[in-house]
Amino acid sequence: MPALEEIDLCNPDYFNEGVPHHWFRALREQDPVHWQEEADGAGFWAITKYEDVKAISRQPRLFSSWQGCTNIFELNEEELAGSRLLMLNMDPPQHAKFRRLVSAGFTPKRIAAMEPHLRELARRTVDRIAERGECEFVADVASRIPMETICEMLGVPESDRQHIYDVSNKLIGFDDPEFQTSMDDGRVASTELFMYASQLGEEKKRCPHDDLATILINAEVDGEKLSEIEFQSFFLLLSIAGNETTRTVTAQGMRLLSAHPALKHRVVQDLSLLPRAIEEILRYNPAVIHFRRTLTEDVELRGKRIRKGQKVVLWYPSANRDEEIYAEPDRFDIDRWPNEHLAFGVGEHYCLGASLARLQLNTIFSELFRRLPDIEVDGPVRYLRSNFIDGIKEMHVRFTPESRQRRPSA
Amino acid sequence: MKVVVDFDLCEANAKCMAACPEIFYLDDEDNLHLKQETFDETLRAKVEAAVRLCPRQAISIVK
Repeated sequence: MPALEEIDLCNPDYFNEGVPHHWFRALREQDPVHWQEEADGAGFWAITKYEDVKAISRQPRLFSSWQGCTNIFELNEEELAGSRLLMLNMDPPQHAKFRRLVSAGFTPKRIAAMEPHLRELARRTVDRIAERGECEFVADVASRIPMETICEMLGVPESDRQHIYDVSNKLIGFDDPEFQTSMDDGRVASTELFMYASQLGEEKKRCPHDDLATILINAEVDGEKLSEIEFQSFFLLLSIAGNETTRTVTAQGMRLLSAHPALKHRVVQDLSLLPRAIEEILRYNPAVIHFRRTLTEDVELRGKRIRKGQKVVLWYPSANRDEEIYAEPDRFDIDRWPNEHLAFGVGEHYCLGASLARLQLNTIFSELFRRLPDIEVDGPVRYLRSNFIDGIKEMHVRFTPESRQRRPSA
Repeated sequence: MKVVVDFDLCEANAKCMAACPEIFYLDDEDNLHLKQETFDETLRAKVEAAVRLCPRQAISIVK
């Protein structure tokens, strides 16, 4: 067991080779509501147990997303004002008003209607690599469907999608020098996305379509149209949330199944095992590592006195491996059921795109395993340097080209 | 015991209908309906599952 004083959840270097599960295991066991000192901040309470993450998520008024927003680091007043325009950083009742503008487009039923189209996107994605015998999985496969899907739902023309993808990478990869070197780069990237959103909004005013940008440019909250910056912020949130997360889980899923060839073989032989395998991938490597809340009143949790104004940080990969919920939590087990993981959060801020993400994961893995059944990771995996997103930057895969595979004889 | 749903939170994830179809019903327009509001011990485990499984935590039980 590591000494609790060694634990430093603030430093992204300790997340460079994956999430430090040995620390989270020690915290769950010895100090589940743990005070984490920060070199450049006031410190925070690290929440690592499943039931605590769930209970806090259910009480958005007590544990505010708005007050200090949802990242660990502190923002100045100007930055807070900007971040609070993102639905992610709102509390009820305001949060519900904004969320309702788009939520009808994301219900399981509405998402299920997109399935034929997503299958077509998956087919085209695999078409592009099928004869190559190898590819870089993140850029060539994992990023394609999320980018195409969210851009299409937003109403971004095909010619602009690569640009949106590149810019959103810079925004989320702020701790990784490969994507950007400072918070300033993040500001430049968000300005670029804002400018693009404004142009797109103008276009949708002139020429309305059946897409989210058109809905949002015409939407009203409390009888008033969204301001330009509210519209821009909405666009920014949806384009980031819809890109980085599903890509991460797609890549993590490929990595995990490659690392467990017997399990992968079973899935390839029987694609009806995919839904449960996907839930286990989400449990094992959730894309989002943490979100932060700020206390609006004093509370007591597991005997610790948490003061109004202090921050608590919810660690989802730890909740998903809580020994009280899961037997052998460190074992990757595609038969695990029930599997009520918290990869999408729970409650007020439950991931709006959860149904969409599940369908995307199902369509891409179905298409890959049907056509390239021996696909596997080839060479080292390069992870994102981040304690926020459990991302993979680069991962090469190899497979027998489709035309050279032995088909079962008729 | 009585079921209470926060309809402002409900987003038609349909987990409750799967857990307890005796009470929860989602129509073709994605609107949730309660077939009955009160329930007895025989449905208790199913309703509790619905409460637990709702991703939006929109359901509660009042005694």
